Amino acid sequence: MLVQGGISMIAKKNLAREAQLKQLIVLPLALFIFWIILTGSFTTKSLIIGLMAALIVSRLCSPILYLPAAHTPGKSYAAFDLPYLKLFFYLFWLLGELIKANIQVALIVLNPKMPISPQVVTFKKPLDHPVAQTLLAKSIILTPGTITMDVGDDIYTIHALTKDAALSLAPLEGEGEMPVRVGRLFNE
Amino acid sequence: MTIVALVLLFSGFFFIVVAALGVIRFPDFYTRLHAAGKGDTLGIALFVLGLAVYNGFNFVSLKLLLIVLFVFLANPIGGHVLSRAAFRSGLKPWTKKGE
Amino acid sequence: MITDKLLLTFLIALIVIIFLMLFRVLKGPTVFDRLNGLGVIGTDTIVVLILLGFLEKRVNMYVDIAISYGILGFISLVVIAKYFEGKGDVKP
Repeated sequence: MLVQGGISMIAKKNLAREAQLKQLIVLPLALFIFWIILTGSFTTKSLIIGLMAALIVSRLCSPILYLPAAHTPGKSYAAFDLPYLKLFFYLFWLLGELIKANIQVALIVLNPKMPISPQVVTFKKPLDHPVAQTLLAKSIILTPGTITMDVGDDIYTIHALTKDAALSLAPLEGEGEMPVRVGRLFNE
Repeated sequence: MTIVALVLLFSGFFFIVVAALGVIRFPDFYTRLHAAGKGDTLGIALFVLGLAVYNGFNFVSLKLLLIVLFVFLANPIGGHVLSRAAFRSGLKPWTKKGE
Repeated sequence: MITDKLLLTFLIALIVIIFLMLFRVLKGPTVFDRLNGLGVIGTDTIVVLILLGFLEKRVNMYVDIAISYGILGFISLVVIAKYFEGKGDVKP
């Protein structure tokens, strides 16, 4: 605990004030809304207990919520300092991809001959923000015909169901659509 | 409103069935994960959304929406954790004969 | 249009699907296949619980159970997968 706290103190110094403020507001607010939905009551007592619980939990969690950057040494990011508006539109685009992916899987599963030719491909996409890496790895699972097998040192190992799916994510020249979109989301 | 709920329920159920069939039919672990990771996420999200529409607007529907959000966030992560564990254990993917 | 009968049909079909997944859990061949089957069972059980709540007219209670079941299932899946990372038996 002591060591972690020390790291987070150093990390906090290198962050912009704005990012710290966002970090301080977003998590307790989300926890408080979660509390209201779960209890379903608006009495003063329950609201006060919920507010206190949200503040205490977010304070206890704060040491692990400053993530070290992947490439820039000494720099760190606040986990909840995200471009929320852009993220919202990105999730809608992801939903469209998910529906496409499901129709493709359904067509393959219901086809008696099962037209698959699985293959493993890798591609490289350097991202500094740890949340961006997580988002990319998670999005790959939801897009048509691909799942993430491993992530490490900017190299993403992908298992693709068909050749087209492999080419759409890791084309022979340039980058696929999804890594570019995630990169634009975090201005990298 | 009932029509919307019915469409959501039946399409969600269709994708849940497809995911189950995929887990039974596919030849190896990674391909099965394709069916489980995608089919289950969308299927359950649509089905629970249909139940929320059927229930009307109250706190129970909000909780159902919370479940939809949770499944949408957590299911792909579970899939990735499994595939990474298998990959690091050295499980080789199945390939078509002659390729 | 949406009657208890329809919801009951969905419930029975889901239970049949869960038994199909149990077949995958028992058959294997690797430990990760079993875990995958367990994960699908866990997510399907969320829906079964909610449907049970609608049938018994006590959705209030069953939704809370479904939420906690989902969170517990997800966490246990992640922990078990972490445990087997790099040392799972991959021979069929």
